[in-house]
Amino acid sequence: MLDRSLAEEVLRAARRRGGAFAELFVEERSSVSIRLDDGKVEELTTGLDRGAGVRVGHGTSFGYAFSNRLNREALLEAAEAAAASLTQGEAGNVVDLRALEPPVLHAAERDPSAVPAVGKIAWVREVDETARGYSAEVRQVVAGYADSVQRVVIATSDGRWVEEIRPRLRLAAQVVAAREGNIQTGVHVAAGLAGVEVLDAQSPSATAEIAARRAVTMLGSIPAPAGEMAVVLAPGMGGVLFHEAVGHPLESDAVDKEASVYRGRVGETLASTLVNGVDDATIANAWGSFSFDDEGAPAQRTVLFEEGVLRGWLYDRLRAEKDGVPSTGNGRRQSYASPPIPRMTNTYILSGGSKPDDIIASTARGVYVTALAGGQTNPATGDFVFGCSEAFLIEDGRVTTPVRGANLIGRAIEVMSAIDAVADDFDTWPGHCGKDGQSVPVGSGSPTIRISRITVGGTGA
Amino acid sequence: MPDLGELVRAAVEAAEAGEAVEAYAEESTHTEVSAHKAEVEGLTFAESRGAGVRLVLPDGRLGYAFAADPSLDEVRRAVSQARENAVFATPDEHNVLPEAADAEPIEALFNPALAAMPTDRKVALALDLEARTVSRDPRVAKVDTVQYADAVSRVAIASTTGVAAEYARTDCWCLAVALAEDGEETQTGFSFRVARGLEDLGWEGVADEAVERGTRMLGAVKPPTMKVPVLLDPFAGSSFLGVLAGALSAEAVQKGRSLFAELVGQQVGSEVFTLVDDGRLLDGPAASPFDDEGVPSSRTELITRGTLNGFLHNTYTAHRGGAASTGSARRAGYRSAPGVGVSNFYVEPGIMDLRELLAEANGGVLIQDVSGVHSGANPISGEFSVGATGLRIEGDALGEPLREMTIASTIPEMLRAVSAVGSDLRFFTSVGVPSILIGEMTVAGI
Repeated sequence: MLDRSLAEEVLRAARRRGGAFAELFVEERSSVSIRLDDGKVEELTTGLDRGAGVRVGHGTSFGYAFSNRLNREALLEAAEAAAASLTQGEAGNVVDLRALEPPVLHAAERDPSAVPAVGKIAWVREVDETARGYSAEVRQVVAGYADSVQRVVIATSDGRWVEEIRPRLRLAAQVVAAREGNIQTGVHVAAGLAGVEVLDAQSPSATAEIAARRAVTMLGSIPAPAGEMAVVLAPGMGGVLFHEAVGHPLESDAVDKEASVYRGRVGETLASTLVNGVDDATIANAWGSFSFDDEGAPAQRTVLFEEGVLRGWLYDRLRAEKDGVPSTGNGRRQSYASPPIPRMTNTYILSGGSKPDDIIASTARGVYVTALAGGQTNPATGDFVFGCSEAFLIEDGRVTTPVRGANLIGRAIEVMSAIDAVADDFDTWPGHCGKDGQSVPVGSGSPTIRISRITVGGTGA
Repeated sequence: MPDLGELVRAAVEAAEAGEAVEAYAEESTHTEVSAHKAEVEGLTFAESRGAGVRLVLPDGRLGYAFAADPSLDEVRRAVSQARENAVFATPDEHNVLPEAADAEPIEALFNPALAAMPTDRKVALALDLEARTVSRDPRVAKVDTVQYADAVSRVAIASTTGVAAEYARTDCWCLAVALAEDGEETQTGFSFRVARGLEDLGWEGVADEAVERGTRMLGAVKPPTMKVPVLLDPFAGSSFLGVLAGALSAEAVQKGRSLFAELVGQQVGSEVFTLVDDGRLLDGPAASPFDDEGVPSSRTELITRGTLNGFLHNTYTAHRGGAASTGSARRAGYRSAPGVGVSNFYVEPGIMDLRELLAEANGGVLIQDVSGVHSGANPISGEFSVGATGLRIEGDALGEPLREMTIASTIPEMLRAVSAVGSDLRFFTSVGVPSILIGEMTVAGI
């Protein structure tokens, strides 16, 4: 995509007024997406996207410019524009670029580009047929398939040269079921930083069946109770909660701006001692993984909580340099069109010693959440809210009637401290995380966990 | 570098006999400045260009392909790719392109002064906004985010059915998130405004509003569960409008995903509730002469004094439903084919000002912010349960701040319970809403 001598020339142009460092990010992404809706293959779209972004960093400030064009003229123009944010200074140097060895590789075993379009269409059809075959109450199915290959080159003025190829594949099923005017939806997804083997591990039918089961199950639901009660989160779902309520306030930009509820509290016990939490981009072929982050820092595993004790933040380059520590490899961006910011990768609550059945059996009254629809958090206050897309009552130690409209609301530190059981049945959930208008693929993971008391917002009694 | 008109014409000329081909090209330059602690935190310049090709084979199969910053040859290649992709789609007789129609240009969409504004001025504006935010109140010494941004964009569309349309626009916006602190407690206050030129942006008001919305939440408590009048301020109301927009698209209706599917002609909201989509309304930031497939923009009254009139259509849904397009084709840029979406989608304002509404809602709660709407509201069933923050209403004034509440209901119940609509219509990007009083609603706390 780019030769090293041109990269060096661009970096020199970007450092004409100094700054702490300059960085060039070049990307080319080819993609295929298929959408089946209403029983029809509506659209097969192919695309080629490419561009380059130049950043000049100084303190926690930066100048950034990008272009769709990858020729010398356009790249030098972007470098000039990025450097313009520094109004004065002496030209900085550019160290000879040396290629870095990746700490971990995430190659596609079965290359999606070797599968003809007919084969990919068969997968979305399989989702449609399986979901409709699941129940006569299934009214509508949307199946979305996408694969992409993102080729990245990153060069920095301190001599970093990184090349990475990131293959991604995702298949999602959304099922609508109806019964006597009651309409419910169920969603499920298979995804990985990998190739067609993602669908060997979880077939299109399996994805469709789970989505259909969720929609049909919720047809029999009653309005969720409201008030404070125990909530048990099924495998994977605790990870989603951990990501939103804890992960975002641990991102170093929030901490740096003193807009994090965890600021200045490393070393304190701020969660139940049962909680061990990590962010880990090195997990082979996981949806939120990579070999290098989008600033060229190697992927790593970062401990966030150890037996309830807060251990540290998720760093990108700007904030790490300010604090005088190494980056944790969490500088990510949606594409060349955006500057990198601190983001999560795969964020997990690790397994504990309890058995999931025992956790349910020892819960007299509460809600069992098997699918979360997503959530929102305010890092400064720690306030968060989550919608539950599939949930059940727990009555006398048994999972009983499905409930709808359940919402979990609380504050990060209080809720994490109220976790009183962590099981050993770890699972993950692939999703997308949005922040500052940028969406990146992230993984969440956890075993079954119980929160002894949390506010459930619902319309029932 | 070919201009946008040349690009889309080259694509259309590459059509083969019997095919319908449409090309959509856009380019934009975007500048974004964020300020923090009296310094420029980030300065981003972006220039982007791209084109997408929609191709329909004679039997109604559709294919799509796009390319970033294409040459004339690359845009022709996108046409052949779209053709290859179409072969795999399901035939659908409703895949038709709109016929050419003259769209009245809207000159006011392009503000030459904004397009010519030097970067220094934008940087100064972001710094001023931050400085103003941290100097209004001793409890606000910091901001989470302060940002000024603008964009100059052009769009061109051409098709084998004779569409040949272009327009240019400017947009600018700014936002502030103030951090209000009192001892150990922190609250955030958000404000945002958008306009086509600096003279209409009113950025000073953004600082003042962010500070007020943050400081008034200090000392917030979790209230007991209660059934009371609820006044949704425009920020809170705008979140719900997004859910309504999805349910009022003909696409959702035709695919069995709308709670309004069978309700045309029926009373779905209270008498005071009128909902409009108007792509030509200059007061709205989403005004444009034509939609994303070249159909002239228009005004559609979706709900009139509570009665549902119909849905938003693009050319596909109009053909399928035997209706006329409402000029509601929308796409997420050149990378995708158009779906159905809103332009300026707003609740018709009433005559009461905020003080009158507060008096009417005495004993109730003003909701200033709702969270989790994208996950907590089901646009298909209309059920929602969302987190909320706000303040008690005492007489015609605001009282104790409240946090960690949830409000849960259904969209139809909420629309029926609207008892008054304020005169303070305010647009947030494409949705506009005044303060809305809901006669009674359950606010869940302890």
